[in-house]
Parts: sequence; structure tokens; C-alpha cells
Amino acid sequence: MGSYSGIKSRTKNYMNKKEHITPPKWPLRFLRFFVKKDYLEEIEGDMEEVFQDSLTIHSVKKARRLYVWETVKLLRPIILKELEGASRLNSYGIFKNYLKTSVRSIKRNALFSSINVVGLAISMSVGILMILFLFEIYSFDDFHEQKDRIYRVTSHSGDATSNLAAASPYIAYRLQNEVPGVDKVLILYRNLSADLKTEKEAIAVKGYYASLSFFDVFSFKLKKGNPHTALVNPGAIVLTESTAKKLFGDSDPLGKTITVDNNKNFSSGIITGVMEDPPINSHLDFEALVSFKTVEDKQKNWAVSPVKEPEFFGAAYVYLVLREDAKVEEIELMMTEMLSDYNSRKDRPAMLRQFLTHRLQPMDTFVASPDSYRIPPGPVFLQRKIHMMIGLTFIVILSACFNYTNLSLARALRRSKEISVRKVIGANRFQVFFQFMMEAVLLSLIALILSIGMYLLIKPEFLNLLTYQRFELDVDAYEIMFFLLFAFVVGGIAGFLPALFLSRLKASVRLNDAGKIRLLFGASIRQILIVFQFALSISLIMCAVMVYKQYDFVLHYNLGYETGNIVNVNIKGHGNYGDLLENEYKKIPEVIATSRSTVALGTGKMRGAFVLSEDRADTTGFWSNLIDANYLDMHGIELLAGSGFITPAKKGESRNKVIVNRELLKKLNLGSPEEAIGKTIWFHTSHGGGDRLLIQGVVGDFIGISLNVRPYSEESSKAFMFRQKDPDWDAILGVKIKSTDVLATMNKLEEAYKKIDPVHPFEAKFYDDQIADLYKEQKTTYTIISFLAFLAISISTLGLLGMAVFTTESRMKEISIRKVLGAGIRSLSLLLSKGFLLMMCIAGLIAIPVAIYTVDEMLLSNFLYRADIGVMDVLSGFVIVLLIGILTIGWQIGKAVVQNPADLLRDE
Amino acid sequence: MKKTKLGEFEELVLLTVVVLQKDAYGVEIKRELEERLNEKLSVGSIQSALKRMEQKGFLTSEFGEATKKRGGKRKRIYGATPYAHKVLAEIKHVRNGLWEAIPALSPELKTI
Repeated sequence: MGSYSGIKSRTKNYMNKKEHITPPKWPLRFLRFFVKKDYLEEIEGDMEEVFQDSLTIHSVKKARRLYVWETVKLLRPIILKELEGASRLNSYGIFKNYLKTSVRSIKRNALFSSINVVGLAISMSVGILMILFLFEIYSFDDFHEQKDRIYRVTSHSGDATSNLAAASPYIAYRLQNEVPGVDKVLILYRNLSADLKTEKEAIAVKGYYASLSFFDVFSFKLKKGNPHTALVNPGAIVLTESTAKKLFGDSDPLGKTITVDNNKNFSSGIITGVMEDPPINSHLDFEALVSFKTVEDKQKNWAVSPVKEPEFFGAAYVYLVLREDAKVEEIELMMTEMLSDYNSRKDRPAMLRQFLTHRLQPMDTFVASPDSYRIPPGPVFLQRKIHMMIGLTFIVILSACFNYTNLSLARALRRSKEISVRKVIGANRFQVFFQFMMEAVLLSLIALILSIGMYLLIKPEFLNLLTYQRFELDVDAYEIMFFLLFAFVVGGIAGFLPALFLSRLKASVRLNDAGKIRLLFGASIRQILIVFQFALSISLIMCAVMVYKQYDFVLHYNLGYETGNIVNVNIKGHGNYGDLLENEYKKIPEVIATSRSTVALGTGKMRGAFVLSEDRADTTGFWSNLIDANYLDMHGIELLAGSGFITPAKKGESRNKVIVNRELLKKLNLGSPEEAIGKTIWFHTSHGGGDRLLIQGVVGDFIGISLNVRPYSEESSKAFMFRQKDPDWDAILGVKIKSTDVLATMNKLEEAYKKIDPVHPFEAKFYDDQIADLYKEQKTTYTIISFLAFLAISISTLGLLGMAVFTTESRMKEISIRKVLGAGIRSLSLLLSKGFLLMMCIAGLIAIPVAIYTVDEMLLSNFLYRADIGVMDVLSGFVIVLLIGILTIGWQIGKAVVQNPADLLRDE
Repeated sequence: MKKTKLGEFEELVLLTVVVLQKDAYGVEIKRELEERLNEKLSVGSIQSALKRMEQKGFLTSEFGEATKKRGGKRKRIYGATPYAHKVLAEIKHVRNGLWEAIPALSPELKTI
């Protein structure tokens, strides 16, 4: 205690030596701010004196605290400063004045204003599109009451390309029974497809086999039926409203028994519920739900049952509702623990012997997902891509803002007189700043109106580009608020630099060049902005060219088989269905060949498995297709050795003779094609053993899946095997046609189809179109980028035009004098354009590496086969932008140079 | 008396100004009143009373000396106007009249 007071007194002495302890700074500043000027000296003095007095009785800290409190108590009306000068007026008047000046200035410079408005509107229309798109993406699944607690179990084995949005019913049951943090578990068994038949109607439906907790987990509304019992019994069917309407019309379907066709799991069912159609912002879309019990009862006694084994992690979507206090990481760890038996099992094939783990994915990342997953149930937009799109949109908008900034800075000279007058009258810096910001915001509001119009024009085009067709992108009142905010922000960005610069001008200073705020290496802001704009245009054009080149490359890539003039028709039945359809088609004269198989090569879908050499020393993964006798012929696949399938396989006949490609021989060390004929290989089945296969023929290498889907492992990507198809099951009927009227032929195909199958819709596509569909993403990327490139170049050309008009106008006198002194057209053109050419070259130097990097790392990174990129592709963007730039500038220079100098100089 | 509204606190401050004469500046008035009323007063309350009375014409003021203690800021010395003296006298008169009336009136009131 004693020592403490000692310190205290020493401090006091020290303070005394310093003579003056001052009151705290900020209350004093505050006091100076609010006290009337006339009273300030007295009150400040009083406060100080009171403070000094209280120092004699209180500690410094307490005195300061009291001072603050005293300051607060000074806030009385009579002491408060009154508003002064312009701020005493109704601010409406000054607003009106700003508005009037802005409108006048916009009108007076019609050319510059319209350049700005058009540029801003173009970029803002993309911004609006982006805002609406994001709104829609991030509102997915909002209607589920437990959204923040719903998770999906995902499966991971090996690298990121093997991420699966699905999991096994096995893990679902174990989670339900063993993990306390899991509140509810829902199994959505995949691939429900069936024909539902009443006496009058028959329709094909798609959906899921759902476990009974479906309506507890999700907030879909069940209109008829009991949500707790609707999915309990085997054969229970819940229809969506629109499906129920198609099947039963207006009559009540509840409790009715219907026949089920074309489904291996059940043959009749009872309607136990009718639910509302899934809303458009639901990530799940389906027409019917069947109780999971239906599949479970059917499949649980199989030797290798998908509903019981952990290795069927692609069989179902497993959704969880977690308790509030559950920890995701802990549950993930527990799942890994549950799989330890499976992961240590030795009887799995080598290539599948990868460590399997399950993870949990929260519902708000189902659509806007950070990672890509195979077989997602609904639309997925990778966050990386969303960010890239936001970034690109932002850059294009920025580019349009820079037009405004540039032109306003360049024209600052013309406004300097106005600013001087304002300042002399008494405007302060902030008021001038505010005035110019307001002018920019006004312009961007005008641009907003125009851009909404433009948006309506590009909207249908954009919707067509999306693979997911359920977007609406409508504008409602709530979103208009956002647009206004958006316009304010855009106006703010565009107007900030000019407003800052113009408000800094001193009334007395005469300006030389407004834009010359020196920044880096002596380059002015204006030049940096122009270089940015052109670098953007150049790199966008380059990206578009390179993506297009790749798209063109894959479309014309020699896949190793013929696809021209072949129509692939989906087969929707089994038994003799395929034979009937094929025979019907053979009667059409335009049809020159037909063949049936399970998949169409090169369209991204494929079945894979593993095969071992005879001594079981070598193994490889391979892709396979089950084909009939005509397949190789019709697709122009040539045999290198051996023979093809000659007669169709009969029912029950063993189908162990196979045709393999050269890559498979290489993988299994089977020597040359001729040597391989007749050799035995083993087809690996999941539980040991294996079927003996005999090599009957060898074909060359070809592209099995596609050029852009990276297969599970690259080594196995090219090995391929054809087997003979099961006589009862087909998936695709290929029809080679020769016709001058394609449309009429397609109609004939459809008519023939309807005769055989009135239930299922006719689904047929040209093989080439199917392949092109596979690269739709690249086409979309190309379309979007080239559209953005077009916008960027329009915007920067507009800006360049504005700058060119301005420079030539303001250098008119100089040009005239030079001409009088004997300068020629060539030297004048060079003089006026060399600055521009230099900027262009700098822009090119920046843009080319950026574009190459973007294309390699972001746009085309998933392609295994890449088109070569030549010098012309690299220079394309630069050359195009340079040409457009030269034309724009040349136009203005031309006008300036041919002018008769006498006209201009005579008045001097 | 009708038009001159002088609040109770204002009256006290005004009387203090009259009492202090040449020493009547903000902090001194505050000290004097605090002593007499035996309670803490804030600078704000004294200042607002002074300013209000100045506006109503009870007080005039002029700058006085500056001291180190005041951070080199001058004092403002207040003085009562003749009008203020008149009003104070009137108030005193009214109050005195009232006080004198009390003993005469109250017994009769009781009888009613």
C-alpha cells in the first residue's frame, strides 16, 4: 500500500514538473465541434479550470472521466452550434441545383454521355443477369425447414474425380443405429424407373425409392395421405400432383392399386399419397416415390446385396438430419471406423482396393458446391466457376466504369471554370465531390433502365445455354431494390476518381492537364485504365478462340469409329421388345443398317470392370460394351485379327467369347493381335472366382468414353472389350439412315416406335449430336466468353472513341500549326497514334500470358486430348483489338488531318 | 413580472452574479453556488442558465483576464443589468408579501 502511494506521489510530481496535465483530447475535439463559436473560448476555459480543480482532489484518471461526463452534460440546446451557411438552407434546394447542373452537363456533352450510358448499360445488363442468377442459385432448398441441419453422405475412394454424391444403404443403417448425433436418416435409392398402368392410362415415371422418413426430413407437402405411413409398406407409391393428374385425372387416387411394368423390383403397387410437385428451387426432382422397403425386400436375400454391402456406395442418396449439438467431424470419423472392416478386406480387385471414406455435405452446398461429385441428384454449380463468373462480370463492369472515369478526367479542364465559381461562392471540397458523384450516379441510373431492357433480350439466350432447364430468372420488386443499389455502387465506382480529382482543384489554380495525376513510373491513371481495358478485351478474345478451337477439335476428332448418319434410339423395354422394334425399323426404306448395344461409344457413359490375364499375373481395368453381330460393321470398326460376332446369341447361351482392343492386349502382355486370338482371360467378379473369357477378335484403339471425362485412372482409360449382348436386354438401337429428307425419316422412325411402344416417349438423337452434347459445357464456356469478349471490346472501343474525339479536338490548333509548318499526313498520323499503339502493345504483353494461363488451368484443364495452339491463336486477340483500335482512332485522326488549317487559325 | 420568466435556478445564478460582482465568471459562480446549495453542479447547467439569461437581457458580459489554469483561455465576467436588479427586487417584494400574508390568512382558512 505504502509503495503504491509512493508511486502515485512520484507520478504526481512528475506530472507537476511537466506543469500541465491536459484534459483528454477527443472530448475536447468533440466540444469544439458542437459548442457555438462565440461561447467556445469561455466554455473551454471553464472546463479546463474545472478539470484542474478536480485534479487536486481526484486522480488523473477520475478527473478525465469526470471531464468526459461534464462534456456530455454540456449538450444543451442553447450551447449547441447552429447550422451555418448552405447547411442552414433546406438541402432540397442544393439537390435540385446539383440535379439541374448534372442534367445540363449530360445534355451538353451528348456524345460523351451516350458513350458512358451505353457502355455502362451493356455491362450492367450482365451484372443484372448475374445478380438474378446468384439469387436463384443460393435460394435452392430454402423451403426445407431443417435446411441447416440436413446433410448428405458422400463417398470418396481415391482421388477427387471419384467423389460420389451417393452412399450405401449399409452406411445409412449403421448411422441410424449407432450414432447418437444423427436425428433422422433418409435413404433415397437411386434409379426408380417404371411404367405405371391403370385401366385407361399408362405412363413412364422416374423417381426414387424413399425410406419412410422422407416427409420428416424434407418439407415437401403431402396433399393426400399420411406422411408418417405413406412409405412404410412394400409397393407403396407416392405420386406428385401432376403425375397423379396424368394417371387418374380428377378422381381420387388414394388407396388405388395399379400395375407396374418394366421394373425388376415390383409388379403392382398401391397409391398411398399425393404430394405437391417439387418446387423449382428443389435440388431433387422426381415424378414418383416408391417405398424403399420394396427394393429392400426384393434384394436383401441376394448373395451380394446392394442394400446390405458397403461397396454399393453408388446405390443411394443418404440424407441425415443432425442434432443441433452434433459434430460433423466426429460423425465422419465414426463412418471411417465403420468401414475399417471393408477397407481391410483382401478379396477386392486391385484397382478397387482404394480406401473408401464417407463424408457429410451440408445442404447449402448441394447446388453451389465447392467440389464436384459424380452422379449428383440435381443441378450443381461449382463455386469456383461461380466465382469466376462473378469475377468476369465485375471486370467487365469495371471496364465500363473506367470509360466514365477516363472521359471525365480528360474533360476536367472544361469543368474547371464551374468548379472555380462554386468554390469562390463558398462550396467546400465535400460539396463539389458530392456533386460529381451525383452526376455519375445519375448516369448509372439512366444506364440501369437501358440495361434492364438489354437484360430481357439476353435472358432467353442465357437460359438456353444452361444444361439445367428449371431456371426462371424473373425480375420482382424485391430484386429491383438490389438493382438500384447496384446502380448506386456502379455510379460510385465510376464517379469516384473524377469526383475526387475535381473536388481537389483549387479555385485559383489554372489547370494544364486534368488527367495527369502521376501514379506509377510516370504513367497517368488514364493510360493505366486504357491498358487495363484492352488487356481485358485481348485476353477474352484469346480465351474464346482457344476454347472454340478445342471444341472444334473434339468434334472432329477421329474417335476410331463412324458416327455419321446414325440415329441412336433409346430402348425402353426388354424381352422381345428390341427385336420387334428392330424389325419394324428394317421395313423403313431409308434405314440401311441397324444394330443394338448397351451404350453408345464416346458419349461419356460406359460400364467398367476388371480383367486378369490367364496366369492372373497382369490385371487392368477396362470399359465394355455389349453388342450384337452388326455393331462392328455398322460403326466401321475394323478387325485386326480373328472374327466378329456372327450369329446373335441365343437365350441362355454362354457369352464368353470377346473382342478386345490392342490397348487391352498391351496391358495384359498378350503379344500381337494374331497371337492373342484364342487366349483365355479372366473377368473379375466382386467376390473372387471369375468368368473365363476367350479372345475371339482384336480391334484397333479408339476413344471409349469421351475426350473430356477423365476416367478413374488414366492407364485403364483406353483398354476396351466388346461382349455379345444379352438377347433380352438392350439399351440402344442404332439406326443408320440414308436420306435426303432427314426430318421426314425421323418422323417415320417415331411413327414406327409408337406402334411398338405407346407408353414411353420416343427418345432418339443423331450420334453426332449426342457427342456434341457431351461438350456442351465447352460450347457454353465459349459462348459466354465470346459474348463477354464482345461486350468488353464494345465498351473499350466506345471509350477509345471518346478519348480519340477528345484528344483530336483539343489538339486541333496544334495540328493546324504543324500542317502550316509543313507536316505531312503520315507524320501527323504517327504523332497522334503512337501513344495509343504503345498502350496497345503493353496491353498485349499483359494479356497473352494471362489468357494462356486461364485457358490451361481453368477452362480446359479436364481435357486429356488438347488441340495444338498456334502463333495465330495467341495473336488473334491482339490483332483483332489492334485493328478495331486503329480503325476507331484512324477515323478521328483522318477527320483532323484533312481539315483545312486556315479554317481554324483564321479566327486567332 | 408578467413577461419576465425567471426560473428558480436562474434566479439563484443571477443572485450569485450580483453577489460575486467582479469575480462573477462561470467556474466561480459554480463554486459559490455549490457551497451554498451544498450540491454538485455541472458546467453545462450553469452555462446554459447564464446564456439564457443573457439572451433575456438579465445579464451582460465581457472578457476578463486569461489564466494558466484555464489553459490560456479568457474568463467571461458577467454583470447584472439594471433590468435584472429591478426584476430581482420585484420578486423579492412579491415573496415578502406572500410571507407576510401567511400568518394572517391561515387561521381563518381553518375556520371555513
